[in-house]
Amino acid sequence: MVDQRLSIPRYWRRMPQYYRLEGVQCVKCGRVYFPPRAVCECGSREFKPYPLPSTGKLINFTVLYSVPVEFEKMKPLIVGIVDLGGVKVIGQIVDCMDPDKLNPGIDVEVVFRMVKMDGTYGLINYGYKFRPINSC
Amino acid sequence: MTIFREYLKTSHLWQLLVFNTTEVYIVAHSLVPGSRHYEKGLKELFAEAFLKVLDQVGNANLGAIYVANAFSEVLQDQSVLGAYLMDYVGLRRIPAIRIESGDGSSGIAVLEAYNMVKAGIYDCVAVVGVEKMHDVINVKLNKALSTITDYEYEGFFGVTPAAQAAMAMKEYMIKYGYDYEDLAIWPIKMHERGSKNPLAYMKKQATLKDVLESEVVADPLRLYDVAPAVDGSAAVVLCNKPLKSDAVIRIDGIGVGAYGTYTGQRDSLTELYSVRDAANMALRMAHVSISDVSLAEVHDTYSILGMLALESTGLVRPGETPRLLSAGTLDVGNKLVINASGGLKSMGFPGGASGMYELALMVMELMNVKPFESLGRAELGIVQDMAGFDLVSTSIVLRRVG
Repeated sequence: MVDQRLSIPRYWRRMPQYYRLEGVQCVKCGRVYFPPRAVCECGSREFKPYPLPSTGKLINFTVLYSVPVEFEKMKPLIVGIVDLGGVKVIGQIVDCMDPDKLNPGIDVEVVFRMVKMDGTYGLINYGYKFRPINSC
Repeated sequence: MTIFREYLKTSHLWQLLVFNTTEVYIVAHSLVPGSRHYEKGLKELFAEAFLKVLDQVGNANLGAIYVANAFSEVLQDQSVLGAYLMDYVGLRRIPAIRIESGDGSSGIAVLEAYNMVKAGIYDCVAVVGVEKMHDVINVKLNKALSTITDYEYEGFFGVTPAAQAAMAMKEYMIKYGYDYEDLAIWPIKMHERGSKNPLAYMKKQATLKDVLESEVVADPLRLYDVAPAVDGSAAVVLCNKPLKSDAVIRIDGIGVGAYGTYTGQRDSLTELYSVRDAANMALRMAHVSISDVSLAEVHDTYSILGMLALESTGLVRPGETPRLLSAGTLDVGNKLVINASGGLKSMGFPGGASGMYELALMVMELMNVKPFESLGRAELGIVQDMAGFDLVSTSIVLRRVG
């Protein structure tokens, strides 16, 4: 596997999602999707941008000890599903030294963090992660 | 008009007029026991499985070869894999069509091959699953596996199939009130079967203590819940007529289902919708009900996915699997035997080739060949294969005839 050193468009075009958690809302029926999609369950293809709320609730999570190569120095990762105003998003839970204190139902907020370094001379990728509001 | 349409739907005559009556038989099978085959590459592994089936079919006219492989681009830097594999076995004029559908590649490859024979395009087609997982170190293999997820929104953030399985396991435990100890029965039972199967990679029995003391991969998922990655290859040949008259295996039904979606968008992690749809389609095509099935091989890359597959296929009522396994109800000697081979847990997990292992093993189980003589004569078996977490699934109903 060759380390990818230049993937600027691939990363840039996702900045609205990675930086602002921008989903889409169907103009016809009001359903919200994250990640964005082209066709709604109702059949409509008309959407407008819909930034997700920055707080929500933890639904499910796991502490992942066996990680992909880019995350080796950050392991273990806490990966969880978070409900942000009715839209569920999967991502990393951070700032939690003691995962035993995490429980489904606790309040979390969106934070902006480094996700990974793309190769030795490549981009640093940033994106959303989630942090428990009451520290753990 | 409606009455007439209803009549057409139920009329046998209509079926004869519309559907062709070509049957599809599995006339040869082989597998290379999964292991860390450091001395063999994709070509050698492929040749070992393929030449065995070629020898079994003699001069059957193979129209095409379907190659199921998930990761040759990321693990071996190789695309157009089929072409190079065929040249290696001296058959460069036969088209080799590579099918990639993650760890569910094999089921889709069989489906495509089946369609070609059923449609009358080819008389015989070989399907070979091949994967070489141990050309890279573990963290790079994890990276390859994470490409099975929606990479832009899951893999990008470090989500792996193990993380998805772990969360499904948590949801299952909460929904049905099980402890981790209850679910440990899956690896224990699979290791028990593997210990009696000389083809298995994991031939050792496992105790509850072994499982509980194994390292945590993704809490609550432990090492014993994960099918160990292996290099391997397995093959079958499908033909429109049997090549011999005794213990003929026929594909009576084949189904495919899909539920590809971002994990967050799912309403449940404990139901595999693609598995359910694939099974229903295959059973309908075979004109049988799930209770007629006596043998099943399910895709247990993680023990929870094996359990969910059983339940979504309809073989076991939702939430019952750990209880039935503990009671021994799904062991050899019962009406329904699950993963008599020991499943991927014991056979190993050869990526996109894993479904071919399941299929080749099911053929052996139905034919009562070594090491499955003690299974007794079963008529119907079902093989379930799945890509990622409920993305695309296939289900194959096999019948022993003659």
